[in-house]
Amino acid sequence: MTTLIVIDQAPYGSWAGREALDMVFSLAAFDQPAALLFMGNGVNWLRTAQNAKGIGQKTVEKNLSAAPLFGVEKIFAEHEACKRFMPDTNSRLADIELVASVKDLITRYDHVVFAG
Amino acid sequence: MNQSLGTGTLHILNKAPGHPRFIACLSALSGQDSLVLIEDAVLALPDTDTALPEHTVALELDLDARGLSGAAKTDQKISHQQLVQLTEQHPRIISW
Amino acid sequence: MTDSPARNNEGFLEDASRWNPEVADEIASESDISLSENHWEIIKFLRTFYAEHEMSPPSNRLFVKAVREALGDEKGNSIYLMQLFPGTPAKTACRIAGLPRPTNCL
Repeated sequence: MTTLIVIDQAPYGSWAGREALDMVFSLAAFDQPAALLFMGNGVNWLRTAQNAKGIGQKTVEKNLSAAPLFGVEKIFAEHEACKRFMPDTNSRLADIELVASVKDLITRYDHVVFAG
Repeated sequence: MNQSLGTGTLHILNKAPGHPRFIACLSALSGQDSLVLIEDAVLALPDTDTALPEHTVALELDLDARGLSGAAKTDQKISHQQLVQLTEQHPRIISW
Repeated sequence: MTDSPARNNEGFLEDASRWNPEVADEIASESDISLSENHWEIIKFLRTFYAEHEMSPPSNRLFVKAVREALGDEKGNSIYLMQLFPGTPAKTACRIAGLPRPTNCL
């Protein structure tokens, strides 16, 4: 069974995305194939040079970088949303697979779960 | 900070682009108004789909958290203390 | 030992900046663990992991996975880590390493 966890909300403003990240890590812990998709405002999770110390939170960029170590198979991002919020490709995290069609991607997974 | 602040309404916005309240806030702005972006709303700065008014500032710590230190000019970034000053300078405030 | 840093009801440091190797020894000794080179290798790994990812491995399974990824199969297995850090290895090791409690360890 394959699972796609979708984060479409901005980082830091709510706990929804962190809960989703926790979910994907838990799936990976039990060797369940799982991937993440960032779309809409959610692509802002993928910007480089984040530092959330000043707002008293952990930096999601750093949390997310543990995903491959834990066995999360892939991190996808909606291409349109990336172009909208991060037109400069240097400001996006590396090792992200851009997807042109969210619709096509979600049909490839048995389970698709949206955060929040 | 921009010296011409202080004549119109101060709008404090904390919703992300696309949120109904974000859209309502931007359409409620008029000529002399000032806009302060905080929390999720600072994402309006890199958003190529959003046009912001001239008198826009953003909380620096919220920019830093999101990797947007370079997305705002120095005089567009404010501290919490400067935000308090702005609220004192404006006779009318809307917190969206 | 005259000024032991404050800890919570599960033995984790209240203030991470108070950690040092002596504090680690002191916490370990409460669990009858005498820290060897092998322990220190894992402790250093965990502290580096925390600095990079701003979190402790959230569960025991992910702790084992992360160690395996960094140090290989010989060390990244639950038996080895259980021998070094009895109980719930992720929890015991994070406590000694001065890191926050793994979020998903009961």
